[in-house]
Amino acid sequence: MNWIKSWLQKRRVPDEKTNERFKLIISELKAGSEDIRPSDVVTYSEPLRSALNLAVRNAMMSLTELEKELQIGHEQAREVAELLVARHLFVKSALSNEKETFYETRLSAMTRPMKRPPLDLLKKLDD
Amino acid sequence: MSKIVSVHSFRGGTGKSNTTANLAALLAMDGARVGVVDTDIQSPGIHILFNLNETEMVHSLNDYLWGKCEIQDAAHDVTGNLNADIKGQIFLIPSSIKAGEIARILREGYDVGLLNDGFRDIVRELGLDYLLIDTHPGLNEETLLSLAISDALVVIMRPDQQDYQGTAVTIDVARKLDVPKMMILVNKTPSVLDFDDVRDRVEQTYNASVAAVLPHSDEMMILASSGIFSLQYPDHPVTQGLRKIVTEISS
Repeated sequence: MNWIKSWLQKRRVPDEKTNERFKLIISELKAGSEDIRPSDVVTYSEPLRSALNLAVRNAMMSLTELEKELQIGHEQAREVAELLVARHLFVKSALSNEKETFYETRLSAMTRPMKRPPLDLLKKLDD
Repeated sequence: MSKIVSVHSFRGGTGKSNTTANLAALLAMDGARVGVVDTDIQSPGIHILFNLNETEMVHSLNDYLWGKCEIQDAAHDVTGNLNADIKGQIFLIPSSIKAGEIARILREGYDVGLLNDGFRDIVRELGLDYLLIDTHPGLNEETLLSLAISDALVVIMRPDQQDYQGTAVTIDVARKLDVPKMMILVNKTPSVLDFDDVRDRVEQTYNASVAAVLPHSDEMMILASSGIFSLQYPDHPVTQGLRKIVTEISS
């Protein structure tokens, strides 16, 4: 039954503290619906901020790593990952397999709202 | 393992581009392949230091951000422009200096996620040892992105009260983005000040390491961005201070 013990060790069983942490993470991620910007990351609480910093710097993160970094349960981590996919910070990687899900990470944000500039003015400036 | 290094200051005129260009040259003299990206899209200027003429700029960072080219197409090998014995190579990705293109960026904006992709692509495509990012002063999304993906950050400040306050903001944000290595460069220090005292005060204020305190230099003013200072004045105290930063970055 060693495999059960090892599986249980791998999969954190959520306790009250873990559930509270999970709720806070979810509420912070659900507070916005646009792409996650660098300026969003700095406002997130711990351990979400550090976990996302790590994911962005390494350009990739596995579901198991996310679970470990956020100190939440495996299924909870999956829910967080889905939110991060919805907000375009995570993209499920082709490297994912039956045993592990990998995510590629990418910060994004428009510096200005997308509008067409007055082309005649730009042409004048170019000339 | 390649390293991404951001060079930033909260306020303008601190010598950010000059420092970036000099660090690139010193790293390349040691044999490294170095990329330099001018992300100061609103007020580009580092290309002057590398003697890159506007007519030679086939593509710029702006073209990449508008999807007109791959980022490596905007990389210019400027090693030969420096007329120095450089073992490595320096590639500059300049920002456009056409008024219309700067205006377009300001009005339309761009997806900073493309910078994220571009930085990684250029490191891979050109096999870089170092990518130096010359940032826009102050804090905006592109600067935060640069910090978020950097392995090291050089924060430049002058011994000036306005710089002191702004630098605190930069350092606070860098800590929130978990930048692995952060160092402060105190630049343009008047020679009448006690440099050790300046270093101690800055380190105590920010609880961060000061990599170098560089003196104000008349020679730098006279050079007036017409070349790379450390190549022309290899034994100058400014160059010695810059070498300390290079040692920190490469360690």
